[in-house]
Amino acid sequence: MALKGLDIFKLTPKTNCKDCGNPTCMAFAMKVAQGAVSIDKCPHMSADALAKLSEATEPPMKTISIGEHKLGGETVMLRHEKTLVNKNLFSLYVCADMADADIDAKIAEAVKVDYERISERMYVETIFVNVEETQTADRGIAVAKKAAATGRDLILRCTKPELAKEIAAAVPVKVLVGANASNYEALNAVATEKGLVLGVSGKDLGELHDTIEKLEAAGNKNLIIYLGGTSIKEAFAAAVQIRRAALKDEDRTFGYPAIVNLERLAPGDDNLQASLASLFTLRYGSILVMGRMTYADALPLYGLRQNIFTDPQKPMKVEPGIYPINGAGENAVCAVTVDFALTYFVVSGEMERSGVPVNLLISDAGGYSVLTSWAAGKFSAGSIAKFIEEQQIESKIKSRTLILPGKVAVLKGEVEAKLPGWNIVVGPNEAIQLVRFLKDYK
Amino acid sequence: MPFTAKPRTFNAAINETVLGTGAKAVTLGGQNVLPLYFFDNTPKNAPAVGIEITDTGYDATGLPALAAFYDGAATPAERAKKAASAEGVSFVCLRFEGADPGGLNKSIADCVAVAKDVLNAIDVPLVVAGCKNIEKDAELFSAVAEVCQGKNVLFLSAREEDYKTVGASVGLAYGQKVGAESAVDINLAKQLNVVMTQLGVSAQSIVMNLGAAAAGYGFEYVASTLDRVKAAALEQNDTMLQMPVMTPVSVETWSVKEAIMAEADMPEWGSQEERGIRMETVTASACLASGAESVILRHPASVKTIAAMIAALL
Amino acid sequence: MARFITIGERIHCISPSIREAMDTKNPEPILKRAKEQIDAGATYLDVNIGPAESNGEELMTWAVKLIQENFDNHPLCLDTANKKAIEAGIAVYNRSKGKPIVNSADAGDRISNIDLAAANDAIVFALCSKAGISKDNDERMAYCQEMLERGMGLGMDPADLWFDPLFLVIKGMQDKQMEVLEFIKMCADMGLNTTGGLSNISNGMPKHIRPIMDSAMVAMAMMNGLTSAIVNPCDLRLMETIKSCDIIRNDNLYADSYLEV
Repeated sequence: MALKGLDIFKLTPKTNCKDCGNPTCMAFAMKVAQGAVSIDKCPHMSADALAKLSEATEPPMKTISIGEHKLGGETVMLRHEKTLVNKNLFSLYVCADMADADIDAKIAEAVKVDYERISERMYVETIFVNVEETQTADRGIAVAKKAAATGRDLILRCTKPELAKEIAAAVPVKVLVGANASNYEALNAVATEKGLVLGVSGKDLGELHDTIEKLEAAGNKNLIIYLGGTSIKEAFAAAVQIRRAALKDEDRTFGYPAIVNLERLAPGDDNLQASLASLFTLRYGSILVMGRMTYADALPLYGLRQNIFTDPQKPMKVEPGIYPINGAGENAVCAVTVDFALTYFVVSGEMERSGVPVNLLISDAGGYSVLTSWAAGKFSAGSIAKFIEEQQIESKIKSRTLILPGKVAVLKGEVEAKLPGWNIVVGPNEAIQLVRFLKDYK
Repeated sequence: MPFTAKPRTFNAAINETVLGTGAKAVTLGGQNVLPLYFFDNTPKNAPAVGIEITDTGYDATGLPALAAFYDGAATPAERAKKAASAEGVSFVCLRFEGADPGGLNKSIADCVAVAKDVLNAIDVPLVVAGCKNIEKDAELFSAVAEVCQGKNVLFLSAREEDYKTVGASVGLAYGQKVGAESAVDINLAKQLNVVMTQLGVSAQSIVMNLGAAAAGYGFEYVASTLDRVKAAALEQNDTMLQMPVMTPVSVETWSVKEAIMAEADMPEWGSQEERGIRMETVTASACLASGAESVILRHPASVKTIAAMIAALL
Repeated sequence: MARFITIGERIHCISPSIREAMDTKNPEPILKRAKEQIDAGATYLDVNIGPAESNGEELMTWAVKLIQENFDNHPLCLDTANKKAIEAGIAVYNRSKGKPIVNSADAGDRISNIDLAAANDAIVFALCSKAGISKDNDERMAYCQEMLERGMGLGMDPADLWFDPLFLVIKGMQDKQMEVLEFIKMCADMGLNTTGGLSNISNGMPKHIRPIMDSAMVAMAMMNGLTSAIVNPCDLRLMETIKSCDIIRNDNLYADSYLEV
């Protein structure tokens, strides 16, 4: 976060001694803020002031790695201000207190959710294993092993240091959640020894802040905040206030991602958990722990996450290629459009509704909409013909009918010239008219 | 350094707009904090959840709970009565699908009769949505607004093409509330509010319909539009964007394949109804988080869930 | 960023009709000019009662109450060399639409107006000069720092000190214009608010030229981060320029009718 001259000026001695070569401390502060001179040109800065400055130039929120995933590292509160950097992860909640059959069923159900959407694998990235202090190490290890067998990253919640240590020694854990005001020293030792991310909680934000300060003072900055045993209102307030403190008020102690345990906030209420997962996807939850993960949850939640975490400067693209709709075979008609994700979803959705088999051809158009890419020369007769050649469409599909988007009807003649033997048909202007168009055409 | 929370309130607030009359009237807006940030300041009015019915009734194939909920309700008025009784409902939205000239093309007189019956059947506020045909909607809104005078009915919506006729009849002649629809275009959203107030419609009588999309279907545009509207309204005190927002979620979410694909065609996806509800609630929750003061939903289970979430945040 | 703040300059004792109105406590001419300026979009109204050595307190109290009571507590800028008059005005000032502004302090004799603003939770214009015009930006910056420190030492929010580089008349000081603009940029880089009597630049120019010159200057100054200015809000071209610059600076959301709101 860039410091304003005023913030630096406040730290200078304000004596206008000119030892730095500037007429005033203010002029000096301004140059430092612009990066024109280094702060050490002033021989009179106090150690305290220098420490404050170096802290202020650190990124406001740390990036924490969990397996192959990165969390945090955000610099803005809202995506339109610049972009959000690291998408939130999902986690499945299991508890050592549950019956084995229930644990197995939950895991089996969640693991089934594994699909691709616009070049992104959609699945439950982590499993959250809760082991209460009253449990034995053997039980904890047994349950953690069930979770580990999925190959997903493991988050262990255990507040008892000896127990946590035994489980972490037997099962590959990535995150150890459970540090609080009373046990943080011992749990920190377990996490540090094993190189685990340490999850911290507190009875309120004040206590949480104190505990993080103590852990940082002890040298651990590989932390994550845990919001679990509280009310929905408190968890939401905490998630927002923590992120706001880090990004707006430059309070780096709170510059960590947060785990939100939705199964604790809305036990057993699948609908409410999904709604809350949506809320925390938009507002500052970094790992969302769910009681279940079914397709009904995943389809909207992963789609939402994919939308929110796209860079506003970069359009979302689908892979160019042949997308058979409604079981289209080699004799089904072809329809071509651009690779802008939104176009793809709207067009393919309407085609599905029509029930008519169509080979949807997605050509590389730079990820822009039909008219934009046409205007930019990325969706032209030449690019369509090239695409058909490169994808070897003529050998894969027997049909020689190609539907063009109505908005580029002007291309019809040129495409006919470039693709001899093809029957070029102009489709409707809007996707919403596709259902009727395809039914009539058939 | 110990942590002290800094509540963030603004010297600007969202307008308060009243829908309906009597004990069950609903006030939208009023807050001077970012959406749902009730820890920054006590909410003046909770976000409201509406339930949508249509004049023609839903095709409830594959949706047993929805079918059961409306079981025995043969007329729009009977359906409205059931809808209004669903847990968590603040208002009823009557959508005139049957008015569409490209469909059933029901007469204005028929629609007015339906509206009257529905209004008499419920004690919660009424929102009237059209059939998306500009000419028909303008005529329909004017006729329905006339017979609903004094009831504070909201009409969705006036658009760039018809704000003059809709604003003049619904807003000025019959004193109802006017929705201003702008399809995820923030500059148009502001412009519509400017020209409608210039027309004489009071700012307190305007509700913004900024457009919607189902989760996964370009929702980032919806989220960023809402985020920017709230930033302008509160941080920049832009009075032409301080109107409360109502987002019709259901029309979008119940038409994507996640919600309409039959379980038989996609067995691994599981229950169609559950998928539809989840798509609706996840989208609604995201709209509220980004800045909608109210959402319109179809399924009673969705209404219940979203109302419960709002209650838990108050 | 907040929208550009305009301070309407037309209630000024130098105008014969206003001077007479103030002498005779005749509300009409003052209310008329207040209304004109508010209708034209002035964020603040400057109330200049002149030196008012004998009756300043009474006169300022009267003027503040008169304008605020008639115009929904519109925010005001209290402009006189008489400190007691400013204090009397603040005592009856209603803050619901914005803090009062003290016009003005400098780094010389009038530096104690910063103390006055600090004691009364007011905004203060801080002229970056001591006696006469500062010779260069180093001198301006030294005064700026002196006043900033004084204000901060008294517990003021730095955002409540609005630094005035002193706009200079082009006919006579054409070679100094870029320097003034540069100073505005320096203040903006520091995160400080700025202001100034914009129309001074076009003093002595033909009447039809002044709006053109003022508009060009305000656009260049806004580019450099100017946050407010004392202007004639009834100058339509100038106000349209400011509104357009606010759009370009992304301080106001665009709508086709942006000039009308």
